[in-house]
Amino acid sequence: MNYPLYIRSAPTENELKFHYMVHTSLDVVDEKISAMGKALVDQRELYLGLLYPTEDYKVYGYVTNSKVKFVMVVDSSNTALRDNEIRSMFRKLHNSYTDVMCNPFYNPGDRIQSRAFDSMVTSMMIQVC
Amino acid sequence: MAQCVQSVQELIPDSFVPCVAALCSDEAERLTRLNHLSFAELLKPFSRLTSEVHMRDPNNQLHIIKNLKIAVSNIITQPPQPGAIRKLLNDVVSGSQPAEGLVANVITAGDYDLNISATTPWFESYRETFLQSMPASDHEFLNHYLACMLVASSSEAEPVEQFSKLSQEQHRIQHNSDYSYPKWFIPNTLKYYVLLHDVSAGDEQRAESIYEEMKQKYGTQGCYLLKINSRTSNRASDEQIPDPWSQYLQKNSIQNQESYEDGPCTITSNKNSDSNLLSLDGLDNEVKDGLPNNFRAHPLQLDSSSDASNSIDGPDHVKSASSLHETKKANTGIIHGACLTLTDHDRIRQFIQEFTFRGLLPHIEKTIRQLNDQLISRKGLSRSLFSATKKWFSGSKVPEKSINELKNTSGLLYPPEAPELQIRKMADLCFLVQHYDLAYSCYHTAKKDFLNDQAMLYAAGALEMAAVSAFLQPGAPRPYPAHYMDTAIQTYRDICKNMVLAERCVLLSAEILKSQSKYSEAAALLIRLTSEDSDLRSALLLEQAAHCFINMKSPMVRKYAFHMILAGHRFSKAGQKKHALRCYCQAMQVYKGKGWSLAEDHINFTIGRQSYTLRQLDNAVSAFRHILINESKQSAAQQGAFLREYLYVYKNVSQLSPDGPLPQLPLPYINSSATRVFFGHDRRPADGEKQAATHVSLDQEYDSESSQQWRELEEQVVAVVNRGVVPSNFYPTQYCLNSYSDNSRFPLAVVEEPITVEVAFRNPLKVPLLLTDLSLLWKFQPKDISGKDNEEVKELVSGEPKMIGTEVISEFLINSEESKVARLKLFPHHIGELHILGVVYNLGTIQGCMTVDGIGSLPGCHTGKHSLSMSVRGRQDLEIQGPRLNNTKEEKTSIKYGPDRRLDPIITEEMPLLEVFFIHFPTGLLCGEIRKAYVEFVNVSKSPLTGLKVVSKRPEFFTFGGNTAVLTPLSPSASENCSAYKTVATDSTAVCTALISSASSVDFGIGIGSQPEVIPVPLPDTVLLPGASVQLPMWLRGPDEEGVHEINFLFYYESVKKQPKIRHRILRHTAVICTSRSLNVRATVCRSNSLEDEEGRGGNMLVFVDVENTNTSEAGVKEFHIVQVSSSSKHWKFQKSVNLSENKDAKLASREKGKFCFKAIRCKEKEVATQSSEKYTFADIIFGNEQIISSASPCADFFYRSLSSELKKPQAQPSVHTEKQSLEDAVRLIQKCSEVDLNIVVLWKAYVVEDSKQLILEGQHHVILRTIGKEAFSCPQKQEPPEMELLKFFRPENTTVPLRPSVEQLSNLIKTSLHYPESFNHPFHQKSLCLVPVTLLLSNCSKADVDVIVDLRHKTTSPEALEIHGSFTWLGQTQYKLQLKSQEIHSLQLKACFVHTGVYNLGTPRVFAKLSDQVTVFETSQQNSMPALIIINNV
Repeated sequence: MNYPLYIRSAPTENELKFHYMVHTSLDVVDEKISAMGKALVDQRELYLGLLYPTEDYKVYGYVTNSKVKFVMVVDSSNTALRDNEIRSMFRKLHNSYTDVMCNPFYNPGDRIQSRAFDSMVTSMMIQVC
Repeated sequence: MAQCVQSVQELIPDSFVPCVAALCSDEAERLTRLNHLSFAELLKPFSRLTSEVHMRDPNNQLHIIKNLKIAVSNIITQPPQPGAIRKLLNDVVSGSQPAEGLVANVITAGDYDLNISATTPWFESYRETFLQSMPASDHEFLNHYLACMLVASSSEAEPVEQFSKLSQEQHRIQHNSDYSYPKWFIPNTLKYYVLLHDVSAGDEQRAESIYEEMKQKYGTQGCYLLKINSRTSNRASDEQIPDPWSQYLQKNSIQNQESYEDGPCTITSNKNSDSNLLSLDGLDNEVKDGLPNNFRAHPLQLDSSSDASNSIDGPDHVKSASSLHETKKANTGIIHGACLTLTDHDRIRQFIQEFTFRGLLPHIEKTIRQLNDQLISRKGLSRSLFSATKKWFSGSKVPEKSINELKNTSGLLYPPEAPELQIRKMADLCFLVQHYDLAYSCYHTAKKDFLNDQAMLYAAGALEMAAVSAFLQPGAPRPYPAHYMDTAIQTYRDICKNMVLAERCVLLSAEILKSQSKYSEAAALLIRLTSEDSDLRSALLLEQAAHCFINMKSPMVRKYAFHMILAGHRFSKAGQKKHALRCYCQAMQVYKGKGWSLAEDHINFTIGRQSYTLRQLDNAVSAFRHILINESKQSAAQQGAFLREYLYVYKNVSQLSPDGPLPQLPLPYINSSATRVFFGHDRRPADGEKQAATHVSLDQEYDSESSQQWRELEEQVVAVVNRGVVPSNFYPTQYCLNSYSDNSRFPLAVVEEPITVEVAFRNPLKVPLLLTDLSLLWKFQPKDISGKDNEEVKELVSGEPKMIGTEVISEFLINSEESKVARLKLFPHHIGELHILGVVYNLGTIQGCMTVDGIGSLPGCHTGKHSLSMSVRGRQDLEIQGPRLNNTKEEKTSIKYGPDRRLDPIITEEMPLLEVFFIHFPTGLLCGEIRKAYVEFVNVSKSPLTGLKVVSKRPEFFTFGGNTAVLTPLSPSASENCSAYKTVATDSTAVCTALISSASSVDFGIGIGSQPEVIPVPLPDTVLLPGASVQLPMWLRGPDEEGVHEINFLFYYESVKKQPKIRHRILRHTAVICTSRSLNVRATVCRSNSLEDEEGRGGNMLVFVDVENTNTSEAGVKEFHIVQVSSSSKHWKFQKSVNLSENKDAKLASREKGKFCFKAIRCKEKEVATQSSEKYTFADIIFGNEQIISSASPCADFFYRSLSSELKKPQAQPSVHTEKQSLEDAVRLIQKCSEVDLNIVVLWKAYVVEDSKQLILEGQHHVILRTIGKEAFSCPQKQEPPEMELLKFFRPENTTVPLRPSVEQLSNLIKTSLHYPESFNHPFHQKSLCLVPVTLLLSNCSKADVDVIVDLRHKTTSPEALEIHGSFTWLGQTQYKLQLKSQEIHSLQLKACFVHTGVYNLGTPRVFAKLSDQVTVFETSQQNSMPALIIINNV
């Protein structure tokens, strides 16, 4: 639980900072999920919205029904990314993740090393930047 | 926020207490100094009142004050220097460390179990010191002096004079404008006159009289006689008196030190203290500008640059820390209050109480009343005025504000007597005496006024205190106004730029919020105040924020961890290494093992560094170790940095304890289970024609199949040596131990023979690792040569070259992420028990090759010497886990591992050591080709060897020559062009008949019961002396199948001396031979129908031999010549060649086929009888002009070997069913008669052109004929692969149907032949009936009596037979019943009667046969002989 399955950051020089940021944001994800209550679990929205803003970045969260968390950190100066774009990006990520899980050779819980997933993330990053 | 010792309700009143100044005369100071205390310090432990106090508020209501505390302090005329305060705070924090045995409580959050110390005493002491050291400011009066104690001693000459002098001094300080600093609450400060009296020294009466005088002058309420020092200090230590000062004074040691030094001059010259202070802290004057938020580094704080750099400037810090410790020690060494008895303590307590009750509180009460009156009078005015203006300007607040904004908000100062300040003063007083209701309303009013005036600093102060007093109000009539606090903090920070006040505000507010369980708000508050200007504060606040996160209802573990890391970072910047380390360690718990490898590495790296600077080297090493051993995702450069840091720390560790045990190094990884151990010398390279035996080497990969083969071979040879039984304690010799071999026993190594250990290293990093001086680490227990165990077992460890020589690899480079094996050798020189423990090496990196990719290191760098940047010597143990045990139930249910003794060889006494070389050993042969090679055996050891044997699965491949071997030239050079065979020139005329010789198979090592695979090597003296070498000829015969053959030889030898541990040794060799097709020989044998020969015995045979040249290589072999065909049998022999073809030497070009026919006869009975049953008769039929003696080596050798391999094939085993015994006997008898044991050897020569040179190759093929009429082949026919069968899941029914001989076999019981004239002339015109005498020969082929029925009646079954025109009839008896004895020949005289001329088939008699003594009859018609045609002619 809460092991990183896949981490990727576009400017690689400050990776450590982003890792810390993503890890810390998991607390907020936990909080949001538990706040949702039991009854709403089934029809709940997977997209959690903005987890917390920092000075330079915005952190968004998404949780699948199997409690796999996606966290996205974007530059807060990037105004092109509205809630809808983020949502569709998460959906794309989710689809790609589902494909990874469908691979019979993938062991759930392992680090994702799928090339398809990787290229999808790369394309998403290029598109954003 | 962590748990605190004090609750908020205690903390806040304790933080804001009435302040009292103390002004002492020199003499009074001297008296207290005897106790190593100043006057203020003397009072400190007793400054809390034990009883409740009552006072009346302005409305004359009784107000109860509980737990009132007052603060008495010496007058210091200088505001505290921010630098000094910072230093003090720093010391307080660094002096307060978590207790060693502190029980951390475990918090379980989600799947995290965290050990977190609940309390943070360093924070509490920081907060306490911080609040106490707040400089008094103008906008608030909480820490302004309310009263002043004037202290003089009774021993003074003029005490009353002194008092008035002190009073003047006080007045001067308060009202002279020179002194701005000590702030006084109200202009007419309460003065309280205290007469100190030294009981032990002074005159009591004088003191009393002075006191009386004082009472008259100042009134009883305003003075006090305090008697102290009831005992002399020199007899101090005989009784134990509690030291209440220690807990108060220890933490402010620095402050004390200062006050000690400037203590005496406090009164007289305050200017002195000014300069003194400056010189003491060494801070420059720029601090005075009142801006505490300067960015100056703290004297203890390390430069951030030096902190980040590689060189860790630990010593510097350590020195300062240690000096701190020294001062502390010096302090603790002083006994405070040595001259005070318990009565004195009570007196001081009494004094404080008296002062408070009689002096201070009435003064406060009075002041409050005064202020209240002033306020009420003013209130009426201002209220009305304000409301009026409000009415006038209603709704016009906005423009007013905009005007006000133009004012300099923060710079606004009220004059001291301003009415706004009076409210504030009253509020503060009420607050100090815990009258919070009144305080709140006053603060509230003041706040409004200040806000109206836009006096932001004042407003913030009022807001802050309003919030606090609202919180502290008994019964809590209104909720805590957190927004007041927020506004206050914001104002302090942003508008007033006063971080100290903001900090105080935050500390209070956070504590209050914490008490209300509003952790997230508290955390937000704390985090908001972290800023760049003070690392210590930021660190402490972040840590508290982290504690807030973990204390939340649903603990936010990750936020906790993250803020802990931030706190740790700040701590380290503030020079608080221990706290930094502690923070990182706590955060580590969250990040550990969760896959956040970058974060984990970062934390580990920091922990390592901090531990190093704190000289916790072991921790540092283990932290660095963590970074390196986990599969690191860092970049190569980062890894290189980690590694260098690690090496540096390690080096320091090892320098600290140079004699200690070698440290265990984490790098590179060793795959212990892949360790291989090899006993013996390295294999010698091939030397010209000489080719050394392959034996075993580390270069060979393990192959379970072949190792099983070798094991079987060794078992075979050992069985032969031990007369057919493998001894129970036999274990196969293992020269190379690996993870597949059986390592449960201690391996045996021979003294003076090297032991090679192959260690598999792996470098997990992206930077190359360089190991230098790599060698094995071992332990050795020597043993006496006599074999007796030494009484005292000496244990030697590495470095004793007399016993064990150790090879050292000077440089061993492992590139990034490379796996590499190192072969390390030991040379045992003494017998005993050796234990290989591990490897020892210097671990280092390569300087200059630190390119980013790590791989692209300079190629030249590898060849030359690597410049070693840094290296540490360390070891790594080789621990090999044995195989998991799985035999007993216990072992199956639990996980147990067997021992692995790979690395614990026993060094035994000398053994002979054989080396084998092959000379002229071919790599390619034709099938069946015979080649002569030589083998050289060399004994390279110092002890003789004997019992040399060789064992191979393919004994038919080679021979050393039988016992009858004549001496062939022993040196290989002499036999260059010689035939491999022994030949005799023959007369070419006598070619058609066979030349006969005989030989016994025993001579060729093929006896009954002997293992044909085990071949003793005919050493000349059976012993090979040390250093001696012997060359022996060896003939090879190409295997019959084409293709590549791997042939394993196992040489076995023993020492002449019997060794208890090693009985024998072995040497392995694998020869690889490639064979190509040559000839294919097939042969059939059939009975000859001709009359028996002159011996009168039946059983002549005809042997047809088809030879086909199947060689397909177009270039090499030109043609084959069959030079000789020999027969070899116990009972049969060739007599002659039947059809002599035209070309005598029987050439066979490619794909040509030749046919030969030979007549074979039985050997003479008596010959057979006299010869032993193993004697074979050889008969040679020659096609060339020289005879190859087939009964001699090597021809016979190979013949026997092929025979024995044939014999090995399973034969029909006699069944155990007894009731069928007779039946089976019969069957066997029947079978026997169609059997023949004739073996044919075809010898050939092949003419081969190779490199335009013609070579003659020789060879031989064997055909073994067993059954008459069945074709036999020289090479085993390829069998069709059996069809895939369905698996049968039911049990097959027992199909032991009575063994029936086949019809064909039965029909071979009796051999029949008809003898008659081929053509018969008969004058039919004379006599119409022609009678022809025909003799029917019946010969019994079996060894038993046979009943024979001969039926002459015509079969009329086939309709065609009827139509045969010229039928004939047999005359006379139509059926004969006969009994033929074994091998008997019987002739029947028959008469055939013909009526016409023509050609007739006489072969009509039907013969039935059965074994006469058998009940069950297999009566079968016997094989019809060939059509026997007769021609009847009419004459």
